[in-house]
Amino acid sequence: MDDFKHKFFFFINKQVVHSRSPAVVSLNEEAVRPPTEEGNPLHRESQLETRKTHEHDPLADQDILESIEPEFFNSESFDPCNHELKKLPAKLECDAIERDFQKLQQQQLVVSKKVLQLILQKHTTFNEEFARILEVQEELKTTLCVCKKGRSDLNLAKRQFTTASLGILANYRKRQVVQGLLHSLNTIKTLQRTEERLQELLSEGNYPRAIGLLLECQSAAATYRHFTCVAALSGKLQDTLEMAEEQLDQALAKVCSHFDADHYSKVQAAYRLLGKTQMAMDQLHMHFASAIHNATFSVVHGYVELCSGGSTLYKKQFKQLCESVTAESFIPCLVDLCKALWGIMRSYHQVISWHQRNDLEKLSADGVSELVDFEASFNKQYVKQKLGNGLVRIWHDVQARVSAYLLGSDLALYKSDDFLQVLRVVHRLIEVGEEFCGSKSEELQNSIKKQSSNYFCNYHRNCLEELRIFLENESWQMCPVKPDFTLLQLQEFRSLRHVLKSWKPRGDCLNGDQTTMTSPECSSSNHSQDSSSVTGGYFARYSEAGSPFDLGLDEVQEEDILANIGDEPSGYFSDESDEDIPDELKSDFVDENVGDTVSNKHSKPSSKKMSRREFVKAPILTNTTVTVLRQCGKYLQMSHLLRPIACEVIICMSQLFDYYLYAVHTFFTADLPVTSHSLYNLKLQASLKRIQDNLILPDPSQFAESDLDQSERTKDKVPQPHISPVVDLTQQETLHGLAERVVAVESVIFLAKQLEFLQSYLEHLQGGSSFLQQFFSQTVAVTGELCHPVYMHVSAYAVDFKGILSLMAKVNWEVKEVMSQHSHYVDILLRELQIFSMRLEEVAMRVPIPREVYVILWQSIFHLTCSTFVEGFSNAKKCSNGGRGLMQLDFIQFLSKLEKLTSVRPIRGRDYVENYVKAYYLPEAALESWVREHNEYSCKQLLALVSCVCQNNKKTRQRLIALIEDMEKVGSR
Amino acid sequence: MSESYDFLFKFLVIGSAGSGKSCLLHQFIESKFKDDSSHTIGVEFGSKIVNVGGKSVKLQIWDTAGQERFRSVTRSYYRGAAGALLVYDITNRETFNALANWLSDARTLASPNIIILLVGNKRDLDGDREVTFLEASRFAQENELMFLETSAKTGENVEEAFLKCSKTILAKIETGELDPERIGSGIQYGDTTTRRLHRENNRRQPDCICRM
Repeated sequence: MDDFKHKFFFFINKQVVHSRSPAVVSLNEEAVRPPTEEGNPLHRESQLETRKTHEHDPLADQDILESIEPEFFNSESFDPCNHELKKLPAKLECDAIERDFQKLQQQQLVVSKKVLQLILQKHTTFNEEFARILEVQEELKTTLCVCKKGRSDLNLAKRQFTTASLGILANYRKRQVVQGLLHSLNTIKTLQRTEERLQELLSEGNYPRAIGLLLECQSAAATYRHFTCVAALSGKLQDTLEMAEEQLDQALAKVCSHFDADHYSKVQAAYRLLGKTQMAMDQLHMHFASAIHNATFSVVHGYVELCSGGSTLYKKQFKQLCESVTAESFIPCLVDLCKALWGIMRSYHQVISWHQRNDLEKLSADGVSELVDFEASFNKQYVKQKLGNGLVRIWHDVQARVSAYLLGSDLALYKSDDFLQVLRVVHRLIEVGEEFCGSKSEELQNSIKKQSSNYFCNYHRNCLEELRIFLENESWQMCPVKPDFTLLQLQEFRSLRHVLKSWKPRGDCLNGDQTTMTSPECSSSNHSQDSSSVTGGYFARYSEAGSPFDLGLDEVQEEDILANIGDEPSGYFSDESDEDIPDELKSDFVDENVGDTVSNKHSKPSSKKMSRREFVKAPILTNTTVTVLRQCGKYLQMSHLLRPIACEVIICMSQLFDYYLYAVHTFFTADLPVTSHSLYNLKLQASLKRIQDNLILPDPSQFAESDLDQSERTKDKVPQPHISPVVDLTQQETLHGLAERVVAVESVIFLAKQLEFLQSYLEHLQGGSSFLQQFFSQTVAVTGELCHPVYMHVSAYAVDFKGILSLMAKVNWEVKEVMSQHSHYVDILLRELQIFSMRLEEVAMRVPIPREVYVILWQSIFHLTCSTFVEGFSNAKKCSNGGRGLMQLDFIQFLSKLEKLTSVRPIRGRDYVENYVKAYYLPEAALESWVREHNEYSCKQLLALVSCVCQNNKKTRQRLIALIEDMEKVGSR
Repeated sequence: MSESYDFLFKFLVIGSAGSGKSCLLHQFIESKFKDDSSHTIGVEFGSKIVNVGGKSVKLQIWDTAGQERFRSVTRSYYRGAAGALLVYDITNRETFNALANWLSDARTLASPNIIILLVGNKRDLDGDREVTFLEASRFAQENELMFLETSAKTGENVEEAFLKCSKTILAKIETGELDPERIGSGIQYGDTTTRRLHRENNRRQPDCICRM
């Protein structure tokens, strides 16, 4: 039964599955209907049968049911007909078949009955189940509806809400992104625009803002790095920054030529913004160095171009360029050069003071806050150091340039004023350098020293040559100057007056008006001695404009020297002194000459009218003396400005004196016989020898033309001077030019005195070298000795000694008795001396003859006459006592007249004559010792004496003669 | 000393005090006006080489003091001068009036052939003129002088004055009118070796002095 059920359900299931949707509808009819296999008539018959037999015993039914072959329950592919047929035996038997039939029929009935029974049994359940199915179906239907509704609603919702709002959201987001982009683009645009603004700022010189802006832009650009366009822009910004830095650099360069505090502050601020303070310093120094280089080059180039107009000049080196500067433009060029360099140095100085001020301000600004930025202080330190070192370097550069310029030209042929001008400028520059960095400016000093000594050599040579011309044209006339003339009154000494006086407290030898002037000068010297206070302010004085070099070349020149030397306070003294020489000269002489000038202006030399009193007072000097003094003044000025070659200058100055001395000696002693060495002081002789060896060119006649190699040796020598043909030293009437001789000798002495006046100052200048001491003690001090050889000629020719000697020879010395009348020659001698004395007076009318000169003249005349007497007496081969007496008488007569003729005492040589005469009376023994003692007489004189004394005693005579000759041989005389 | 020249002329500058002689010389030598000059003491000296007609001539110029009291000193420089500039001040009649005296001095003391150029100085002060050009040229003509008006201040005609004088001397040498060999001509040949020969020969030998 289970199988059947199973089979049935399976079948139903099959039905349901087979006709799903249509089956649902038709399920009821199917279910009512018997299954199709049983729809056949047989089935229906059995059904009926079953119903009929239904009241039959269920047991029997059960058995029948069980008797059903199991094959029938094999549902699948079971063909009952076939099965039954097969079961049929080979021999058909109707009965069997009928039985089978019966049996089957029965079975079929039972089965049908059983099925029906089962169906009925299950029908309510079926109905229940069916109703439930319907119910489920109904529920499914409603669910379906809900689903459908839900779906359509959902579709609507989807369509109506989600899409739209998402779109909005998307749009909103897009908008925001675009806005951001726009902002960025705007910034970028601004960045691009900044370029113009930057240029504007840069051209305005507002560097810190420009750099600040630029840095801002850069950082902005950095934030927009992700844009490709910004990459290019930031590249451009970088370029701009570089360009700005370049401009900044240029602006820094401008500082060199013209410092402007505002400008510099801006530049510094800009560099600080860039964080390049140190680099700026380095750069600044580089700029200064190149500024010096360029400025000097362009100045010199300008001048050279002006002169030559050449176009290839730029190729030249600075040094070569300097060599092409012409002599005329040298000084203006030098001044411009100095001005240009001054400008640069001033700028540098201002840079330094700016930094100092800045530091101070900062210090006062954040003085309270102890916290100092380390980097800032480090920078400050660096800048300070750098600036400090820069001073020396810049000054070194300046020096090098100026030195190159100075050495480039040959200044040797310059006019002294011009050269002094050059010196002044360089001197000023050195002072500036001193103030600038405390440098001693060795390089500059050296080059100026080199140029100076070069120049000075040449200058000195010209001076000596000029001096020679002066000497050769000198007429040895007295130059009328005021009685108290000193070299200080010369214009050349104007600037030295003060120094000289402070060096020598010899106010007593100067005249009154000068001593009254001393007090203001002294006080002024106290002001100016502190030279730093005067010169200390170059950078302060010329901080705004101008330079220490833009003094007018001529007008302020005087003041310039004064300022440099620091002697005289102002023009006060010099203004007055300009006129003081001539005025005082006038007041001295014009008064005397009023009548003269009015009456006959040109006929008489005014000096004739001068009173004797004036003569004695006035110093005797010549035109050449004044010239030498002037030169000395110039030399002193040079030595003052040129301390390094001061020694050289002073040595040269001494040569001026040497040459003058030598000339006077040569001029006025040329007529002396060579044998007169005894007239010379040893020192004077040595000095003259030294001068001749060192200073005087050998005589051209002795000096062969071919000796060219000697030219080097003789380069600094001067030819032998020759006296002017105007001067006549042969006239007896003028006492062989006594006036000229006096003027000459006195002028040398005056010169020597003036030099002695300068001595201590010169020694100061020379720094204690032994040269000066030697010069003064060996040469200057013995100048006075010159008078002996110079005046000797005058005395020697005052009397015709030869004539006197020959007159004496005619005298008979063998007179028997003592004569009462002196010999005739004595009168002649006295008359000649009288004439000499008168001429002397005459000369003294023209030239004041100092007392010493009288003494020297007379003393040498005494000497000469006494010698003549002795010589004349010794000429007497024979002599009687009477003759000896006459000799004495003659001499006494001479002496007594002579004493009236001159006031010069003592009359030397008196004993010389008297001893000689009186020796005659000595006993023989005494005579021998007398001969031994008196070696002042010549051999010939002694022999003559002996032969006179021992006229009759041949033996003694022989002995004494032998003695005298022995003495002569031994050279004891 | 190293410079070479064909001739050396000795020049004089004479004239009354204050006529501007020194300034004239200074202007000629330095090409500058010396405005702080004082009276000359004695004589001053200046030399310059000029080129005259292709010859280089060294001028040795003696600038004399104009003041009367220096006359004895200055006179000695007259000797042997080849040329002279006789200077007066056109603004000062006195200096013009003194010319005759100066001229006679120069003619007697210097070489007789001396070439004299009359110079009317201070031409820049034309407003204060006291001596007319005509009057001065008449004086020059009468005395056979050359004549120029100059200004030492502006430098006008200064170089010309010296050059004109030198030119005349040179011309006279060429015509043989002047003999440079003659002593006291004020002219020397530039050749330094022969320069002093005459002087050497001329030296006076003193008589033998008696023995001392």
